[in-house]
Amino acid sequence: MLDFDSVSRVYDDGTKAVNNVSLHIKSGEFCVLLGPSGAGKSTLMNMVNGVVEPSSGKIKIGDLEFSKQNKSKIQRRIGMIHQQLHLVPRLSVLHNVLSGLLPNVGLFRSLFKSFSFDDQRRACELLDEVGLEEKHLSRRASDLSGGQQQRVAIARAFISNPEVVLADEPVASLDPAMSRSVLKNLKTAAQHHDATIICTLHQLDYALEFADRIIALRKGEIFFDGHPSQLDKVTQAELYALAQPQPINMEQQAA
Amino acid sequence: MISQTEQSKHWREWELHRAVTPKNLLVLFVVFIILSFSAHNTELDKAAVETSKAVLSVVGIGESQVLDGAVRFVGKAFPIQIAERTPVNRLIEFDRNNLPLFSYVEQGEEKEYDALSDTWSVESTEYLVQPIGYLKKVIIQMWETIEMGFWGTVICIMISLPLGILASQNYTPHRFVYSLTRVWLSFHRSLPELIVALILVLMYGFGPFAGVLALAIHTSGVLGKFFADEIENAPPGPQLAISSTGASAFKVLRYAVFPHVYPAWIAYVQYVFERNIRTATVLGIVGAGGIGMELKGRWDVFDYDHVATILLVIFLTVILLEVISQKLRKRAL
Repeated sequence: MLDFDSVSRVYDDGTKAVNNVSLHIKSGEFCVLLGPSGAGKSTLMNMVNGVVEPSSGKIKIGDLEFSKQNKSKIQRRIGMIHQQLHLVPRLSVLHNVLSGLLPNVGLFRSLFKSFSFDDQRRACELLDEVGLEEKHLSRRASDLSGGQQQRVAIARAFISNPEVVLADEPVASLDPAMSRSVLKNLKTAAQHHDATIICTLHQLDYALEFADRIIALRKGEIFFDGHPSQLDKVTQAELYALAQPQPINMEQQAA
Repeated sequence: MISQTEQSKHWREWELHRAVTPKNLLVLFVVFIILSFSAHNTELDKAAVETSKAVLSVVGIGESQVLDGAVRFVGKAFPIQIAERTPVNRLIEFDRNNLPLFSYVEQGEEKEYDALSDTWSVESTEYLVQPIGYLKKVIIQMWETIEMGFWGTVICIMISLPLGILASQNYTPHRFVYSLTRVWLSFHRSLPELIVALILVLMYGFGPFAGVLALAIHTSGVLGKFFADEIENAPPGPQLAISSTGASAFKVLRYAVFPHVYPAWIAYVQYVFERNIRTATVLGIVGAGGIGMELKGRWDVFDYDHVATILLVIFLTVILLEVISQKLRKRAL
């Protein structure tokens, strides 16, 4: 499904964000990327989405290889849930979800927000799936609570029938109960639509609970890759330590 | 480490802040001299003298040109002219038995000036008086003025929307187009309506269209620049989210930028509309339609009572518009 073939990314200032990573992610897998800040999780994700280009190596989705020419073609096959959600605050919930379909809608129709009833019904179905109701449809996205906004973002990511959904810290700003229910939504939606999920998380607990596969990164390299049950105590402790938010080291910052 | 030498200084010897220094005094003096020259150029000194004379003249000391002017206007302006008086012999179809509603016929004198002999001849004629005829005429012309402001705003929007997008740094197709549209917009802004209207009256002839276009040209420069700046300041997050689905730049504009720009833009359009109506009232002075034409005509023949009616109608209309647009703004946001 998704293949990384010895992918590296070196930024202009010389930092090796991702170093020689090779991965094969199967269709329908719920993969969780773990690791401290700066481990290369976001870079890895952004490379899948075409926002960041790999310095070397190849990424393939299905049999389509990433390149500048087919960037928009690839982006259509990928759904994205951003860390700050990036919903359009003044747009209604319905249109926020439908905005995931924009590449397939004609210019004139999109100008007048005239989406077909089929598309709208699909949006309703997805919103219902993540637990929103009809009364939310015409509300502005900014009027919803954080958890509800997160669900709208999930619905938006799934509406274009993506093969891969990338979720960047989807529960970073939610309380534990809400986080669990949002992740559950994400997982059922993925199973229902047969989509591969790549999700970055900070909390190991959630990863153990929901993931089919945990990929742990440290300094741009993979140091654990496997099913949660394969985790031994030592690695688990190490992961716990890594996943904790790191206190900012003032001396290091100054240096 | 950098401030090694300064730290060795005892705190009593640190340099303190002084509000009054010779340099400050010199700058103040120079500014005063320049402003004085400028004030003399604009006759502020003369105005001050004339105003004091007027004040003195109010309490009965001396005479004042300013006060005379005011008295001449106010004396003739009140009572304001609301009725329309037309000499009967000038009406082509006059039917004494079938007068318009509420109107009546009145005896009166018509003065006529003979320039050759420099004398006034007085003739007794009948007048047809329509009690609110003139007010009606002024209100109809005021409505035309409002329509001018409206269409000026509509054309302004049609010009400024595409130009605004081309003049925003993140959605312009090319840097050259960006600079060109920015210069174009500031050119539009720099053209005063009255002067554009003068030229357009030459091109399109007398009438409201010249005024409409003049309003649109000036305000599109203002609205277009505002629109471009708002697009540039829109939050990047939603734009990134929508563009990362593979949508084109136009769709990103439509779904991630316009909803953000919309409320401020509406407020600005309302301001432009109000301003256009206010400006449209004076555009008639150069023959570009609206109530200004009537105002200028009456002013030139010293019919200050008619002028007073016109001014009152303009004043009330502007207040009414402001109240309405305040209410609309609260509902739109």
